[in-house]
Amino acid sequence: MLKSAAAKKGSATVLLVLFLLAASSAIVLLKAATDKVVRTKIPGSSIIYIPSGKFLKFATFGYRDLAADAIYIWAIQYYTTPTIDDRFDHLDHVFAIINELDPRFQDPYEVGAMIAVDGAQEVLTDTRDLSRGRGRLEYARSLIQAAFAILDRGAANNPDQWVYPFNAGHIALMTLKDYPLAEKYFEQCMKIPGAPEFVERLRANAIYKKGDLKTSWETWLDIFKRAPDERTKKIASNHLYNVKATIDRAALEEAASKYREGHGRLPPDLEALVRAGFLREVPKDLDGKDYFYDPATGKVRTAISPWRR
Amino acid sequence: MKIGAIAGITFKEAKRDRILYLLFFFAALGIVASRVLAILTVGDRVKIIKDVGLASISLFGVLMAILIGTGLVYKEIDKKTIYTLLAKPLYRAEFILGKFLGLVLTLFVMTGAMTLIFLAIVYAHTLKIEGSLLVAVAYIFLELVLVTAVAILFSSFSTPILSSLFALAFYLIGHLSWGLELILKKMRPGAGKALVRGLDMILPDLENFNFKTEVVHGLPIPPGIYLSSFLYGVCYTAFILGLAVLIFRRRDFI
Repeated sequence: MLKSAAAKKGSATVLLVLFLLAASSAIVLLKAATDKVVRTKIPGSSIIYIPSGKFLKFATFGYRDLAADAIYIWAIQYYTTPTIDDRFDHLDHVFAIINELDPRFQDPYEVGAMIAVDGAQEVLTDTRDLSRGRGRLEYARSLIQAAFAILDRGAANNPDQWVYPFNAGHIALMTLKDYPLAEKYFEQCMKIPGAPEFVERLRANAIYKKGDLKTSWETWLDIFKRAPDERTKKIASNHLYNVKATIDRAALEEAASKYREGHGRLPPDLEALVRAGFLREVPKDLDGKDYFYDPATGKVRTAISPWRR
Repeated sequence: MKIGAIAGITFKEAKRDRILYLLFFFAALGIVASRVLAILTVGDRVKIIKDVGLASISLFGVLMAILIGTGLVYKEIDKKTIYTLLAKPLYRAEFILGKFLGLVLTLFVMTGAMTLIFLAIVYAHTLKIEGSLLVAVAYIFLELVLVTAVAILFSSFSTPILSSLFALAFYLIGHLSWGLELILKKMRPGAGKALVRGLDMILPDLENFNFKTEVVHGLPIPPGIYLSSFLYGVCYTAFILGLAVLIFRRRDFI
């Protein structure tokens, strides 16, 4: 009697284990089948309703830094998933939350700005219209503005860190080609203790590209005079050569243009401009050498590249 | 028959539990308060009402399932009433299934009541009964059934506090496990990827029961997912209950 009860119990256990195995197999198969079904999703809808970091601070119950880490890690995954077409729409908002939760967390400022700049380039080059009818250029510009907003927050929250105005200046100089803005950021960066000395050279270059040749000359001359080593002196000298060449070239080409208006043809050489009274003398480059003049086009160039002197 | 009797007793017992009415009160408050939240928004107020209403039904339903479910088996052991029950010609599997069905019935009534309040609030704004909302509620209920099974599983071998924590962890894992798919896409092939893939298959994916976004935004739901999600929920629940029975059968109360 006892034996038969034990056997019955044993076979019930075996049946139960078999049932569990069958159920777990069914779970795996159904999970795979369900995952295959493509569900309609509102792209980016998962982040629209993330509240401001100011409110999240209270909701994280003292785990602000941890929440910032979690959102940052999530943001990295989110923004490196190219299939989400509109992932850049709320970029500034997402990084503002991280910055609000942990203002001294440095990486999100730099990475957020980098994602924004890369995103802008992707918007301009991708075969898909990531702007979704808003205009590629306008959308890309809005992303660059988001990069500046993120870096500005970084600078405001960490006034001892020169890297944020430096990065902003670099974006303005190289990507946006907004030279007055680049000059402003580099100037801001130079004022922060610990900023590298090359930042003032970048500022001088931004001033040159802005077209303010007089200030550019003065700035490079100042750098030349204060240069702590021969290398810096050489760099400043090359830039001074370039600034002077640009000023002289503009004056010579303008004179050549006036000569053509008066004589119906371009001057045969630069001395002709002096003879005709358009110039008092033919300027020479910073090394005292003559500029090359092409009588066929009226263009003037230096004898050597400023960067190979 | 015996399962039905235990389920009936469990239902009556749950009805007397004050925590059930407390949670129901807060759920109803949440659904009604969605009207106030809607005032604070600019634009589509009905969307906010639907979001908050469905979230209240889901969240408070899960709390009901966990807080009541985790105490069901433990109470019988703690009060020693289990001895009286098991002395009768009753299989332990019948006991577990009866407890499970009793709580499922309780949750069905509660979800129904919360849904009625929710539909009334939506009706007050849109002047129409939106049947699609019931799809979301039905799958929320399926999720509650699974969470109930999990609560009973933990209740069969642990204390109510620990069981609640475990069941809550199950719920959170179930709603975060989609992240594994994201990680899988970024992993290089190898042992690590195989391990994550295994975890992805085993861990519960409660997002399969989440149709709230589609229903609120009126997005099309692929027909195939209804059946596969339903079967997934049923199989997972059966698996968890089987496990609970297996553990409970081997448990010694002396």
